[in-house]
Amino acid sequence: MGELKLNDKVVVRVVDVTRRYFMGKVEVNALRGINLLVARGEFLSIMGPSGCGKSTLMHILGCLDRPTSGHVHLDEVDVDELDDNSLAEIRNKKVGFVFQTFNLLPKLNAIENVELPLIYAGIGFDNRRKKAAELLKVVGLKERMFHKPSELSGGQSQRVAIARALANDPSIILADEPTGNLDSKSGDEIINLFQELNKRGITLIIVTHDQEIADHSKRIVRLRDGLVVSDESMK
Amino acid sequence: MISFVDPLKIAFSSIMANKIRSLLTTMGVIIGVAAVITLVSMGEGAKTYILNQVGNWGVGANSITIHPGKEDGSIPELTLTYGDTLALRQKVNNLQYLMPEFVGRGVLIYGKKDYKPAYTMGVSSDYPFAYKQKAISGRFFSKTDEESRKHVVVIGRTIANKLFGSYSPVGERIKVNGVGFTIIGVLEEKGVLLSYDMDDMALIPSTLSEPVLGVNKIWEMFLTLERDDQVPQAIVDVKKTLIARHGREDFHIHTQQGLIDIVNNILNALTGIVSAIAAISLLVGGIGIMNIMLVAVTERTREIGVRKAIGAKRRDIFLQFVCESVLITMTGALTGILLGTLAAWAIMFALKMEAVIAWRAAEMACLVAFLVGTFFGVYPAMRAAKLDPVEALRYEV
Repeated sequence: MGELKLNDKVVVRVVDVTRRYFMGKVEVNALRGINLLVARGEFLSIMGPSGCGKSTLMHILGCLDRPTSGHVHLDEVDVDELDDNSLAEIRNKKVGFVFQTFNLLPKLNAIENVELPLIYAGIGFDNRRKKAAELLKVVGLKERMFHKPSELSGGQSQRVAIARALANDPSIILADEPTGNLDSKSGDEIINLFQELNKRGITLIIVTHDQEIADHSKRIVRLRDGLVVSDESMK
Repeated sequence: MISFVDPLKIAFSSIMANKIRSLLTTMGVIIGVAAVITLVSMGEGAKTYILNQVGNWGVGANSITIHPGKEDGSIPELTLTYGDTLALRQKVNNLQYLMPEFVGRGVLIYGKKDYKPAYTMGVSSDYPFAYKQKAISGRFFSKTDEESRKHVVVIGRTIANKLFGSYSPVGERIKVNGVGFTIIGVLEEKGVLLSYDMDDMALIPSTLSEPVLGVNKIWEMFLTLERDDQVPQAIVDVKKTLIARHGREDFHIHTQQGLIDIVNNILNALTGIVSAIAAISLLVGGIGIMNIMLVAVTERTREIGVRKAIGAKRRDIFLQFVCESVLITMTGALTGILLGTLAAWAIMFALKMEAVIAWRAAEMACLVAFLVGTFFGVYPAMRAAKLDPVEALRYEV
């Protein structure tokens, strides 16, 4: 615990987090005592074989799930104490999710998808449309604002999803295998975009089992059987 | 605080994305509402028609009619006489007009033409006021004419056309049952009331009923009072006077309010039955909507997961699905109102009556549809709102 100190640069603090759940009648110890500090502006990869608990950790970091024991602080908010509504608000304001399967709403066009988090933040139409348009420009989709997901390539869809994740200027972006469904060229473009966003000061946490992608990040945390087994900073 | 605008927009786009299914879902509501609106519009139209027709004939709530005999549908024994009319004129308080009808058969002869009107009646000089039917050319006979038994006759438009064509009959002499009369007026047209031609009528002074028509008993007597609220007292006066003269109650009295009440009762009963059928239809429609909303929640589990992941609260998801259910139901109700009104209008047009837009029924339909949509939307919406975001995101269609 000695190295874990709360200071103003820390954006994620995970202390002794465990997560147990039942799959049918089998008890699964997905996380068995995770400690993790993430500073503002980091670009972190969480790696590990499937079943190591990295998705569970991501759900907990993203306030979609609660730990069985332990504490999670997100941007200096102790999220253990929060009820469902407050967690929804944290997800809305402080977390941006990027999923492997993009998870865009198929019936909405690109700009409407980006606007969704702004709707739930209670932002009026004019402001949210302006913000969403800016973000689509940032991710290089200025020309495709009114296309439906079915009219976009995988790489383009993922960029819409990243714009959506950025909508409320979150404290962290959580990406779960963001290149898993993309060809290598599109995957590289997404990684480049992440690096660019990180240069602008955005904190990124990527869950992946692809070493090549992890190599682009600044720090790699490896999990095995629900525990952190290595935590190395890249040059 | 999220407003209702965004959930409504979201719900609207979901409905538009599934147009056919939304239409089928709300079909029960459309049909139920359309049926009620059609029948209520027609009923209201029929009521207005009947009351207009009756009102046209001059009868209002300030009038009563006295019929001879018992009110049991049997052919009455005619008991009312001219003497009774004189007595009633003296004894009934606040009497405005009194109009006996001595109904007989007459043959009118003009030159070589003869004609049998549907009605040849002896009436009092109150006729034009009591029945609000003036003589449009010439004049009606006066009280003096009546009392002095002047041989004058007023004819309806149908007779005038039959015997005189386009010439004015006023001043012409005709024979009524062989007795010489002078035509002094032609009545304003009344048209057809419940399939009777009200213009096929010749009227002579009541005092001549017996010598000319051979009728000395009254078929029906019509009284009006100065005000509606004098009717109950008038009934008492009439009963007292006639029983004193006849020694028994060999007559019966109708008030116009009674007729209006009967029409209203029939239509209200009809509306009640229709409403009950509509309620069942809306209930079935509501269950259909709940069913389809449950399917929608399952189908859109992933969408719900995504919405929750990016910050939708339970309330947001709940509102989205309730709004969708209410919107579908309300759209169905409005479509039903439109279709029902059009159908009623078309049917009434074919029947040559005027449809009345059933505003009250339409308001009720909207209100009930809103309640049905809300009620049957709540359970699916609660299911959606309660979904666990992690499981919802994992859900594969």
